[in-house]
Amino acid sequence: MIEVKNLTKKFGKITAVDNISFTVNTGEIVGFLGPNGAGKSTSMNIMTGFISATEGTVVIDGHDILEEPEKAKRQIGYLPENPPVYGDMTVTEYLEFVCDLKGVKKSERPNMIGDILRTVRLSEVRGRIIKNLSKGYRQRVGLAQAIVGYPDLLILDEPTVGLDPGQVLEMREVIKNLGEKHTVILSSHILQEVNAVCDRIIIINKGKLVADSPAERLSDNIVGNRVYVEVKADKEKLEELLSSAPDIEGFTANEKDGISSAECEGVEGCDIRETIFGLCCKEGLPLLVLKPVDMSLEEIFMNVINGSIEEEEIAAEAALQTENASNDENVITDDEADVSEEITDGEEAAETTDNIENTEEKEDGENDSDL
Amino acid sequence: MTAIYKKEIKTYFNTLTGYIFLGFFVAITGIYFMINNMSTGDLNYASTLAGSLMLFWILIPVLTMRLFAEEAKQKTDQLLFTSPISIWGIVLGKFFAAITLFIFGVAITGIFPFILSRFGTIAVAETLNAMLGYVLLGCSLVAVGIFISVLTDNQIVAAVGTFAALFVLFMIDTFTAQMPITPVSSVIFAFILLIIAAAILYSSTKRLIASIALIVVGIILIPALYFLNPSVYDGLISKFFGWFSMISRFENFYAGVFSLADTVYYISFAFVFIYLTVNVIEKRRWS
Repeated sequence: MIEVKNLTKKFGKITAVDNISFTVNTGEIVGFLGPNGAGKSTSMNIMTGFISATEGTVVIDGHDILEEPEKAKRQIGYLPENPPVYGDMTVTEYLEFVCDLKGVKKSERPNMIGDILRTVRLSEVRGRIIKNLSKGYRQRVGLAQAIVGYPDLLILDEPTVGLDPGQVLEMREVIKNLGEKHTVILSSHILQEVNAVCDRIIIINKGKLVADSPAERLSDNIVGNRVYVEVKADKEKLEELLSSAPDIEGFTANEKDGISSAECEGVEGCDIRETIFGLCCKEGLPLLVLKPVDMSLEEIFMNVINGSIEEEEIAAEAALQTENASNDENVITDDEADVSEEITDGEEAAETTDNIENTEEKEDGENDSDL
Repeated sequence: MTAIYKKEIKTYFNTLTGYIFLGFFVAITGIYFMINNMSTGDLNYASTLAGSLMLFWILIPVLTMRLFAEEAKQKTDQLLFTSPISIWGIVLGKFFAAITLFIFGVAITGIFPFILSRFGTIAVAETLNAMLGYVLLGCSLVAVGIFISVLTDNQIVAAVGTFAALFVLFMIDTFTAQMPITPVSSVIFAFILLIIAAAILYSSTKRLIASIALIVVGIILIPALYFLNPSVYDGLISKFFGWFSMISRFENFYAGVFSLADTVYYISFAFVFIYLTVNVIEKRRWS
């Protein structure tokens, strides 16, 4: 549906978006996650053709956004960060104007506008002037505008910002329903939201893509495997037991009312639940609780971002070293150094993604066999 | 284009701008008409039009200040520029909406010559010709106003900027009268133009060699021309600025002469500013 390749955007010396590539297939709901100023809005503005990229391409349904802008834009409904509404129009007038803009046939309009107003729950304010509406309603008018013409791809930039909790839930529901008919890309800096709505999460930080994976798998990739265990025994006994297992990398144990609990970290790619169960059986200890610990998205988010910062630092150091080395030599080797640097960078990236995919596949396989 | 056109026309009348413009336009022209024609018994309506040209200073900014500045401020430009219509379509839609309102105003004031015709015979063709010149002048000034509106996201800045630009365009004849006319000053002026042209070339294409080549060619050509045919430089400065003098172009229309050259001039003047507007938008999206 949309293919983004090597997207880079520089504003003067500031790089807002740095070499982002991803593909979104028809029917997916993709969350674009990142802290404020990560480059989410910039990427979306480029994807919708509002601004151009410094480098890279965006292809929507086979149409390049720069080469065939009108054909590409026909496929997109865009809700920017600030809903682009005209305060002096009524809701219906505004939607009719958007129908005009998008070239919706006159005969289809009344039905389409009626449907959309119902979808985003605006019917009761359809005759009101937009500037008198509350922020939540205005946001919904913005969403309604994006849906006009039923484009295949909806790009929503922070659709729930500024709404009260009730409206947020409602908005999420609306977006989820839209996801049944449309491909949706939405950005947010709120993790729960993305988790609640999206099938797939793309995390960007400082303009770089740092993670791209299905929502439910994100925790596996970055957390490895953690298990929470409760045993009816004293703390020392449990600690002894856990430290005897080679699969368990680390744990923290507590004791309360004669029941010990621990959070254990397993070696990557190995299910330590079996190990723990086996050990308890052997020792004859009653196992009360044994469950995998899901890391919250917040923790994942911080992990991913910190990880990418560390990687950056390593890369920067490497670059510095090669630079120093090449400074002493002539131009040709300078070029060579650049090339080799690129290669190692590429390899590193490939390795990390490979790892992620491998573990995913393994776990998939295991889950299947469990079933 | 029609979507934008319809929306702009609607907005003019939703926001009262349209009523204020029309009311003010007809009222002031009416006062001129009273003073110039009715109270003196003069049947020449063209002179009323010529006299009321100053009205443009205030009324053109009223028409154009909002057009792009407000879109940028309300961020509704994001809707326009991500919708499946071309930038030319957007700019032309707004331009045609503004001139429609302007022409509507002129059409209302068309009553005045009718009133005059009750008191004697008026020169119909000449009056229509003067009105045509008046409309053409107004339309090209609207294009200037749109161009200035796209440069800012503040309506007041757009209005004041347009006012200043129109002031300069109206006063250009007075300014050029003060310019030096010696050949040497003309040569210096030619060099200044050359440097500006090279700077524009460089800033728009980023080709250093081409800009330097332009300067080198100019440095050879300008003195060479001076020695071969010095008459080229007679009054170059006033000739150059005279090209921007829109008022002097109106004189033919006012005198009752239909001038195709001046018609083409006004249309191309409007076209250049619409082209510049489109360019500014394109460039902003690329920067």
